[in-house]
Amino acid sequence: MANEVQQFDVVIVGGGPGGYAAALYAAAAGLGVALVERDKVGGTCLHRGCVPAKEFLETAHVRRTVEHAGAFGIATGKTSVDFAVSQNRKNEIVDRLFKGLSGLLKGRKVTVFEGTGRLDAGLVVTVVDGADAGVVAKGKNVILAAGSVPRTLPGFDVDGKVVVTSDEFLDMSVLPKSAAVIGGGAIGCEFASMLSDMGTQVTILESLPSILAGCDTEVASVVQRSFKKRGIDIRAGVNITGHSAKKTGTTIAIEGGDGVDVEMVVMSVGRRPRTEGLLGEGTGIEVDERGFVVTDRYQRTANADVFAVGDVVANTPQLAHVGFAEAIVAIKTILGETVVPVDYDRVPWAIYSNPEVAFCGLTEAAAKQKGYEVVVKKDPFGGNSRAQIIGDTDGVVKIIAEKRPDGTAGQILGVHMAGPWVTEQLGAGYFAVNWEATAEEAAALIQPHPSLSETFGETLLALAGRGLHVG
Amino acid sequence: MTLPSLGESVTEGIITQWFKKVGDVVARDEPLFEVSTDKVDSEMPSPAAGVLTQILAEEGDTVETGARVAVIDESAVAGAGTAPSVQVVPEPDISQVAAVTNNKTAVTPEGVVNGVVISPVVRRILSDGGITPSTLRGTGPGGSITRRDAERAVANGPTEELVVPLTNGRRRMGQHMAVSTLTAPHGFVAVEVDGAVFAELDRVGRSTSEGYQVTDEMLVILAAVRALADFEFLNASFNGDELTIHRTVNLGYMRAVDEDGMLVPVVHAAAGLTLRALARRMSDLDERVTTRHLTTDDLMGGTFTVVGPPSIHTLWTQPIIIQPQVAVLSIGAVRQLPVVIERNGTASIEVGRRIVLGLSFDHRICEPVAASQYLERVATLLAGVDVEGER
Repeated sequence: MANEVQQFDVVIVGGGPGGYAAALYAAAAGLGVALVERDKVGGTCLHRGCVPAKEFLETAHVRRTVEHAGAFGIATGKTSVDFAVSQNRKNEIVDRLFKGLSGLLKGRKVTVFEGTGRLDAGLVVTVVDGADAGVVAKGKNVILAAGSVPRTLPGFDVDGKVVVTSDEFLDMSVLPKSAAVIGGGAIGCEFASMLSDMGTQVTILESLPSILAGCDTEVASVVQRSFKKRGIDIRAGVNITGHSAKKTGTTIAIEGGDGVDVEMVVMSVGRRPRTEGLLGEGTGIEVDERGFVVTDRYQRTANADVFAVGDVVANTPQLAHVGFAEAIVAIKTILGETVVPVDYDRVPWAIYSNPEVAFCGLTEAAAKQKGYEVVVKKDPFGGNSRAQIIGDTDGVVKIIAEKRPDGTAGQILGVHMAGPWVTEQLGAGYFAVNWEATAEEAAALIQPHPSLSETFGETLLALAGRGLHVG
Repeated sequence: MTLPSLGESVTEGIITQWFKKVGDVVARDEPLFEVSTDKVDSEMPSPAAGVLTQILAEEGDTVETGARVAVIDESAVAGAGTAPSVQVVPEPDISQVAAVTNNKTAVTPEGVVNGVVISPVVRRILSDGGITPSTLRGTGPGGSITRRDAERAVANGPTEELVVPLTNGRRRMGQHMAVSTLTAPHGFVAVEVDGAVFAELDRVGRSTSEGYQVTDEMLVILAAVRALADFEFLNASFNGDELTIHRTVNLGYMRAVDEDGMLVPVVHAAAGLTLRALARRMSDLDERVTTRHLTTDDLMGGTFTVVGPPSIHTLWTQPIIIQPQVAVLSIGAVRQLPVVIERNGTASIEVGRRIVLGLSFDHRICEPVAASQYLERVATLLAGVDVEGER
């Protein structure tokens, strides 16, 4: 059996969101599919990323709710946290989703090979280790979906105890009393927010001038204000030179400043592609200087029969839902169907910190940089009735529209939100941006009352020239 | 590079000439090849600067809009020669592969088609503007039509190509006339009618209040358009089975092009126009005929056509119907003649003006009686034009 070449329509390397979406979508179209996964299908997102992180953040949310229960006249007494219970709950959720996904792949007759896949010349994928080591699968097309792994910084060797990445962090059953989160991007802010809400003293160390540098500044500052109010120490624009371990914990050295003593260091400085060993000889795949696979807009690599999707692709957002979308583009391209490629400037972004952040399209600064004259309106959640009812009024909706020659707001370029449940509210803004609606076209549509989404509707009304409540 | 949209309802063109050969360096917007359609010839500019590495459609090939015609390697610079379309990397080791990454592979996406509309907003803008999405190639991802593309198309017509010298004009005209003659059995009637209104035009002056010139032809066109209100079946298209009557009159009129056949610019939505507005629209079109700045859309969509007098002594012309229209009106020159005038039962001869109006019609849907009635109606409306008031 080993070394006998097995034939498939599509062979996929990697079973994360990009890979399993490609497998399911291809199988639904009647293609014969093989999927090579070194660990468990579901990938980083399900096992070491999005899903477990959100379970922890929800734990923090429940704690906040319980602590504020007195305001509703509900006496709870003193609360205590047993984080191991939440860890178990997370594992159960992940396990259920993993079983569901495995069943789905089986139901669609996707052949799953266990082990690490390597693409060799001639569209051949060899399983180099694991239970199915030695299997050789040849595809009419191959999709690379090898994903990414957390990066760290020089001088910060990940030991899983003092220095951890998201991989180790999400397996913890006891939370540290103090922690430094290095890197104040989306992942870093989620960890910082969750740890702080669970009682850990948190310091964020960020080399850029502010946290959430990719977000619109006003949205980022909502998070920054909330973090500061809750006692999170944000140090932006700092250069970290290393750390010196102590009996318990470590001291982080900052250039030109005092060291920071913490029990744990959480590295969230980005993710690098997992392409070592992915490519054998003569595959014709182009890889950039950082190891990411270069593709065209249809996910095709320099070898026209090989595609790449998900985090392994160069210069695209590392988001699970972008991986899903890229997988569909790749499969439709393989099938010869008409497909519109992913518009990376307009994908939805969601950060599940407290307060949440969600956005789509251009920030005000990016719009101006692209040469747009803009009209901007924003509405805080403070006046929103539902926000007051749920007792969570920190936040803002900000909409950027192209300015018409007559000065009025034209096409909506970007929608940016921070506040309660905005990750669930972004949908309407996503449609507005991607359907290229103008302010008045979107403002003519009705939001239910009372609802958090009214703040989005109110901002649109103001943008269209005349607000009900805001100017 | 793909063959861009050439105008509403134009789906293909013939590559008549390549100005560049494989390996040549091309600048952005530099003419790359000439394409001939059944309306005009156009020089197609290069969409990018680089090296022409592949020609995929030879001279004489008929190519659909949206089809690939050439590959331009944007990363190649002068002297780089032909770049391979697929990069074969001999050493898959990452550090070594990285060394060749700036020699970008020209991966040309396939599956890109015209008329990709993602947004219902864009779909509505196109629909309101009467633009068929399939005539557009968008600038969005995968050639999708953006809001900006749609608005531009509604404002300017689906293309920005200009009319260039018409090397194949006579060929095109000949083809169309041959097809029309073979398709439609042509009937013809001519009537001679009173031309006193032209003397009136001379009296009040041959320009509008806005300063546009007013010609004899414009007065007849004005009357011809107005008379169509009572003869709707002549403002129509016929496909052999069904007659499609158009509610909008898009009035085409003939203009000869030096050494190159003729053009028929179209005054769109001409039904409600005053003499003043008609003069403005025709002056604009005529100006662009002269300067060769007509767009393909200026030539498209005609529902009825008028052919003016080719010389100052022309009695009439017997024009050929522009397909799929059903009739074309011809105008003779306005002539000073001795005319018989009857006053108080006494006939006398005076110097007057007369003009011959002719109508070629598709004999499958019209016959001489109706054609004559239409011309008589034109004559009545012509005589009644309030030149002083409308000019």
